[in-house]
Amino acid sequence: MHAAISAEEDLADVNRVLAGEVQAFEGIVRRWQGPLVNMAWRYCRDRGRAEEMAQEAFLRAWRGLAGWRRESSFSTWLFALAANVFRSELQRFPAVNVPLEEVAEPAGPATQHEGLARKQSDETVRRAVLALPTRYREPVVLYYFHEMDVAAAARTMGLPEGTVKARLARGRELLRKRFPQLNEQSTPPLSSTLQPTKEVLQ
Amino acid sequence: MKPNLKPETNYDAINPILAAEEELIPSSGFLAATMERVRDEAAIPKPIPFPWLRALPGIVLAVAVLGWCGFELARVGLANAREISFTQLHLTAAAGRVLEPAGWVAVALAASMLSWLFARRLAGRSGLL
Repeated sequence: MHAAISAEEDLADVNRVLAGEVQAFEGIVRRWQGPLVNMAWRYCRDRGRAEEMAQEAFLRAWRGLAGWRRESSFSTWLFALAANVFRSELQRFPAVNVPLEEVAEPAGPATQHEGLARKQSDETVRRAVLALPTRYREPVVLYYFHEMDVAAAARTMGLPEGTVKARLARGRELLRKRFPQLNEQSTPPLSSTLQPTKEVLQ
Repeated sequence: MKPNLKPETNYDAINPILAAEEELIPSSGFLAATMERVRDEAAIPKPIPFPWLRALPGIVLAVAVLGWCGFELARVGLANAREISFTQLHLTAAAGRVLEPAGWVAVALAASMLSWLFARRLAGRSGLL
C-alpha cells in the first residue's frame, strides 16, 4: 500500500517545507492521507474520528518536521509519530466499544445472505481487537496494518521485535479464547453464527 | 510459559480476517481541511525565546548577591552562636534581631522561586515554551 510511495518525493517536500514553503506540505498530506486515515481507523473504528486523529497527526508532523533526523525513512518517522498521537488521543477519549455480548449477532444463513453474515462475523472479530488490553491491542493493530510485518510494527511502536512478537502472540491468543470457533476452523468461511465467549478479556 | 514467538504460524483463521480490512478512502475535504489547519498554524508567529544571553548578567549578579547574603548570614549567625551558652534554650535577643529579617527574606525568595517554577511549568504545558 504505502511501500510504493516515493521516498525522494517525501525528502524533497520536507526540504521545501523546512525552507519555508508551507504549500509543499500538501504533497506529504496527499501521499500519506490514505495510510494515516486507515491506521487511525484501525485504532478506533470510527470514520469521523479516524479523520480527526489523522489530521492531528499531520499537524504534529508539521510542527515536528525539523525533528526528523533522517536516520530512518520518513514513513517510519511519520507512522511512529502518528501512533503516538493516536495512543494519546485514545487515552484521553477512549474509543466507544460496544461490549461483545451486546453486539447483535447475524441471523442464520437461512434467513440472510451468507456473504453478508460472514462479513458481519468478521467485523465482530475485528472489533474485538479494540477490547484487548492496550499492551496487546496496539501490536495486533499495527502488525496487520503493516501487512503482517513484525519489524515494521516494532519500528512504529519503538519496541524491540521480540517484545512485539510476544505481545502479538498473547493478543491473538486472547482473541482465540474469545472466539473458540476460530480454533476449530482453520480456513474460511467462518460460521455465520460466530459467538464470542462470555469470558472477559484480561 | 514461553510465549509463541512465531506469529506466522497457528493463526490461520485469525490472519485472513484481521488482514482483510477494507481500505478507507479519506473524504474529499480531508486534504483541504488539513492544509487549512497547517496554514493557520504557519500564520501564528513563533513564540519569542527567553533571552538567556541578555539575562545572564542579571542572573550572575543575583546569584552573587544571594551567595554573599548567605555567607554573611552564616558568618553573623556563627559569631552569635558562639556567644550563646549551651544551657540557653532560646536564641538571644541579638541573634533574633539578625536572623528574623533574614528569615523573611529567605521566605520571600523561596516564594518567588516557586511562583517562577510554577509559571514555567504552566507555560510548558500549554506549549508556550
